[in-house]
Amino acid sequence: MQFIYLVVIILFCLGLYTILMNTNLIKIIIGINIMDSSLVLLLVALSYKPAGTAPIIDKPYSVIVDPIPQALALTAIVIGASITALMLLLTIKLHRNYNTLDISEIRRLRG
Amino acid sequence: MRRIYILALILILASLLFFTFYDLLHPTEFETDKTQISDYYIEHGVKETGAINLVTAILFDYRAFDTLGEATVIFIAVSAISLLATKERVLVSNTNFSPIVYQGISFIIPFLYILAFYLIFYGHLSPGGGFTGGVVIATTFVLLKMTFGIRYSREEKSLQRRSLIESCGAIGFIIVGILGIVRGDSFLANGQAGFDLGVAGQLLSAGIIPILNLFTGIKVGSGLAIIFHRLVREE
Repeated sequence: MQFIYLVVIILFCLGLYTILMNTNLIKIIIGINIMDSSLVLLLVALSYKPAGTAPIIDKPYSVIVDPIPQALALTAIVIGASITALMLLLTIKLHRNYNTLDISEIRRLRG
Repeated sequence: MRRIYILALILILASLLFFTFYDLLHPTEFETDKTQISDYYIEHGVKETGAINLVTAILFDYRAFDTLGEATVIFIAVSAISLLATKERVLVSNTNFSPIVYQGISFIIPFLYILAFYLIFYGHLSPGGGFTGGVVIATTFVLLKMTFGIRYSREEKSLQRRSLIESCGAIGFIIVGILGIVRGDSFLANGQAGFDLGVAGQLLSAGIIPILNLFTGIKVGSGLAIIFHRLVREE
């Protein structure tokens, strides 16, 4: 087991723990972003080959890392950024209506 | 009590992930190597697309349709945010900075634009590309807005212009894709449709990839600028 996969697991579980244990909306968004980053790290780790060069072939290299997971990592980053923007906007609207970021209190206010 | 449940859940998830990765890294004898397609890209990518940056070759040639979908995700996020954000006032960054900040930001903006367009136009030769360059363009808007305030960049008019620019980026991407059909091949075809691939490694090479990079950069830059603008509206 390579060390990097352990880091991925720890980051993912840390993000999930943050989401489940906090009641503050901003902290929940941070937790989701930590999970997102762990997935990007997993994609980069999957593409890695020992002693490989970056997939830019300006001269013939012998070992080149896998370019497909890197292209997928870009997709993950873009979608993560879009989702974060949407979540932040909804948080702003909730805060404007309820004057609090605590989800348990927001639930209480709705009765 | 809730805390114990959550910890147990996370421990179960962690062990499941651990065994998944363990299997992934120690394939059994029945499984074959699943990297043929990346080997194919590494071997034939430069010849078929004319771009020496293989990530760009995959993003804007082999899987350009995916990239169109990805740009659509940003477009949908911008649409949803523009729909949901009302015109109420939010007070952000009413602080006055020292003159050093104003002068420094004014000084750095042209260089940021040079960096952004370098990243976009050299996307098929070096790390970077439309998405990265677009984010740098959006960064200039963010910097201007944070230091000089929103009023500096004349509110609604510039917003309309920016969403027009974003639509131009999306439509340009699709028109370049349809050109492939017009020339007798599939949507977003590059080398197969007879576009001149040029000499790999030169600035003007790789057929439609630099054009697609430019349109994506325009689209992402204006899209993220609109998102930021909507989030920190101040009147």
